[in-house]
Amino acid sequence: MSAARAAAQTSRSPLLWSCAASAAAILLHAVQVSVWITLTALGLIGWRLAAAIGAARLPGGALRITLGLALVAGVFAQFHTLNGLVPGTAMLMLMIAIKLLETRTRRDQYVVIGGALFLLLAACLYGQALLWMPLYGAQALLCCSALAVVAYEPAMDEGYFPAPAGLRTREVIALAGRTLLYAMPLAIPLFLFFPRLPGHFWALPAGNDAMTGLGDTLTPGSITRLTSSYAIAFRARFEGRPPPPAERYWRGPVLHEFDGATWTAGRYTPIGVQRLECLSTPYRYRIYLEPTFRHWWLALDTVMRAPSADVRYTDDDQLIAAQPVSQPLNYHAISCTQTRSSAPLFFAARLADTQLAAAPNPRTRAFAVQLRRRAGSDVAYVQAALTFLHTGGFSYSLTPPPLGSDPVDDFLFNTRTGFCGHYASAFVDMMRAGGVPARVVTGYLGGQWNPYDHTLIVRQSDAHAWAEVWLDGRGWTRVDPTAVVEPERLYRGILDLLPNAVSTPARLLHAWPWLSSALERWDALNGWWNERVIGFNYRSQLDLLGALGLRSPELRDAGWVFGAALLAWLAWISWQLRQGTGAAPPDRLGRAYAKLCRKLARAGLQRPPHQGPLAYAQTITRYRPDLAAQVRPLLQHYADLRFGPPSPPTSDRDLRTFERAVARLSVRRGAG
Amino acid sequence: MNANAAAAPDRDGAALQRALAALESVVLGKPRQVRLCLTCLLARGHLLIEDIPGVGKTTLAHALARVLGLAWQRVQFTSDLLPADIIGVSIFDRASQQFKFRQGPIFTQLLLADEVNRASPRTQSALLEAMEERQVSVDVTTHRLPEPFFVVATQNPQEQLGTFPLPESQLDRFLMRVMLGYPDAAHERELLRTGDRRDLIPGLEPVLGPEAVIRAQQLVRTTHVSEPLLDYAQALIARTRDRSDLKLGLSPRAGQGLIRCAQAWARLAGRSAVLPEDVQAVLPAVVAHRLERRDAGQFDSPGSGARGNTAEELIRTVPVPT
Repeated sequence: MSAARAAAQTSRSPLLWSCAASAAAILLHAVQVSVWITLTALGLIGWRLAAAIGAARLPGGALRITLGLALVAGVFAQFHTLNGLVPGTAMLMLMIAIKLLETRTRRDQYVVIGGALFLLLAACLYGQALLWMPLYGAQALLCCSALAVVAYEPAMDEGYFPAPAGLRTREVIALAGRTLLYAMPLAIPLFLFFPRLPGHFWALPAGNDAMTGLGDTLTPGSITRLTSSYAIAFRARFEGRPPPPAERYWRGPVLHEFDGATWTAGRYTPIGVQRLECLSTPYRYRIYLEPTFRHWWLALDTVMRAPSADVRYTDDDQLIAAQPVSQPLNYHAISCTQTRSSAPLFFAARLADTQLAAAPNPRTRAFAVQLRRRAGSDVAYVQAALTFLHTGGFSYSLTPPPLGSDPVDDFLFNTRTGFCGHYASAFVDMMRAGGVPARVVTGYLGGQWNPYDHTLIVRQSDAHAWAEVWLDGRGWTRVDPTAVVEPERLYRGILDLLPNAVSTPARLLHAWPWLSSALERWDALNGWWNERVIGFNYRSQLDLLGALGLRSPELRDAGWVFGAALLAWLAWISWQLRQGTGAAPPDRLGRAYAKLCRKLARAGLQRPPHQGPLAYAQTITRYRPDLAAQVRPLLQHYADLRFGPPSPPTSDRDLRTFERAVARLSVRRGAG
Repeated sequence: MNANAAAAPDRDGAALQRALAALESVVLGKPRQVRLCLTCLLARGHLLIEDIPGVGKTTLAHALARVLGLAWQRVQFTSDLLPADIIGVSIFDRASQQFKFRQGPIFTQLLLADEVNRASPRTQSALLEAMEERQVSVDVTTHRLPEPFFVVATQNPQEQLGTFPLPESQLDRFLMRVMLGYPDAAHERELLRTGDRRDLIPGLEPVLGPEAVIRAQQLVRTTHVSEPLLDYAQALIARTRDRSDLKLGLSPRAGQGLIRCAQAWARLAGRSAVLPEDVQAVLPAVVAHRLERRDAGQFDSPGSGARGNTAEELIRTVPVPT
């Protein structure tokens, strides 16, 4: 109780700052965790502040423990684990807030602010987009300011005379900013040269809601969710001219199995790569892929070989990586927009891609068989089907009516309104019903040219689905039934085509040219950030070292030496700080006193460097009256030995007595 | 030998404590300032009390004189005050047919110089020279001032119109500058209830006398100053000289004064050796008027939190020897 009163007497400024730092850290994660966690954590902070102004009482030890256990149970109940990024973050948020309820000494505040800094680090695992950087920077500044306030709070020293005012807010922020700036010369070489591990060091299992981009299934209707998102899927920078708009098909997941409503990849087993002949000039380009948390790497249709050893080039021309794309990555690829494969189709592949849906769709089947018979050849059949779509009164819409139990029948002969998913799905189903091997390919169509960094920007709203049919002698051939119904889709994004399809803010952005120009600049900046900063990986590091003339095979060793040198440098600095400026090494008495101070510091009673022994004794008496009887005489003794008049005959014995007393002292941490 | 045991077993030590108690009973709620004033006098220094009117400057000076049992004089400084009004004049005595020196008010043991910054620089410098030399030269004869001799000057930093602020070189003659500030709520209420504190002064017992004061001053000089403590004082002084935000660092004279004050403070606390805490306790009062920041005016407003900021920063940035 007396300790609580003593705490109340100290200045509130450190508490305010650490509350602000932890509240900001908690808000950084508000999107990731459930609302109750954020609200509980903020509520606990509010409780602490209310206690500071005397409007509430701080909880006792038993209540704090109960509360802590209840919150752990709450987190466990929600996530069924305490392991993992999101549950761990939630735990940390709540525990920091609880820790605030028992802050008394300077050390407690350090713990809270340290936790806030750790939450900032965790936030970097969730999002590393350039957009977040000002926020992260501000939070780092806030945390450092709070540290400065706590470190310089004189009221916490319990000096010999009434404590002077602490630093002013402006001084605090200037100090924190300066400190962060001083850290830059260390941070930048560390960023550039500290050995990076090849592979995905940070790749953590992503939460369910982190899924963006294309899915691994296609249910006509599901693509609407993508088109309303204006987020960037990837960027592509070409060596030379980019392909014309009609050839900007970006290949993603290929779907083989249809249950009448949904297309999936199915149990399609890769058999062997079809040798592709390139009929056009190959395009060479680099893709800057945003995180999708999926395994596909996007590439211009059709990519000629796997861009990296990490991805598999499947026989249906997909790129599938072993690890999900959890952070921005870039890769170089070569694609041909026109290919031919003269080898026959493998039997198993033909079987899989002529498999009919379980749902009957009887009208489609009958119609398809009839059409095929009339056409005479596969090529003519494809043409006839396209003509049917072109002339059959079909229309393009992102908000088609719902389909009945025979969805393909319903679509082809009844509603006749839909978008790429409907057309690709219906077309492939018709092809299969007519005996032509066909499959659905999903991906993106289009791309917006950004004149500021010469890239094609492909957005989620460019998502598309088309069909591929097998024609003997030509191989898999792309057929885009949507283009027959709405030819404009080839040249214009959905945004222009159906202005109502996208959200209002995105439409407004496009209403004013200057705004879209600014947006393009921003995109270019983002591209630079993702490529140069986030995408700075093991390979880029090797390139940089190579450019600096370090091509030795023991590059890794050199990196480790560099890291070790940095650590040694830091150790030296901290040792220097401990020593003070140019102070002589401590004598026996000094060592014994340092030991005493260390023991007390471990109990949370750190002595500020400018505090003398008797003032220190006063502080201890104030915060830990239970220790006063033990510690006071020791500090008094030290003061006599150090500053009192010398008395040679006894001083050695006195010194030994002091050393023994220090050795005997045992200090328990924190009493109620 | 225990340096910090309740030393000074002699009568003077106890008398000092009684003097402190008596002063605190008159000047309410300012124990630290009262202790600093007594410290200054025990360190044989002159005292400058700086604050707005009505916070008890004069009461404090009166009480000091009374409790110490010294003869005292008060001079109200005005712009037309002449040096002779303080020091005295030689008058032609018709009876003896020669000039006879008539002593001015300065010939006393404690001189209260009220509103010292209202006098002309010429008068100020006459006073300050006397303070430094502890003697007065008129015509060809030198008159020694009595022992002990203290000047307690007051000045009001707020009203600068028609004043002659003391230049730094003159301020340096004052060992300490003390500010009183407003009383806290409880003591203010007590003041409102009891009325004028000056009425209490005649009732104060003189606790010391001139001889006892001189003995106490001698005792202060014997307070032990260890080598580590000198290291600490030197580090503090050195820091004032390498700080870029200060116009001037501390002079060696200021350093000597700092040590003397710390000795007196330690004695008042009943110790026979000086600790870093003693230096820290007196440092703001000893150095604040000698250090001028480049960015701010010399006078910090009284009662504000910024008071003595430079000194507090100084303390915080210099580690004590361990």
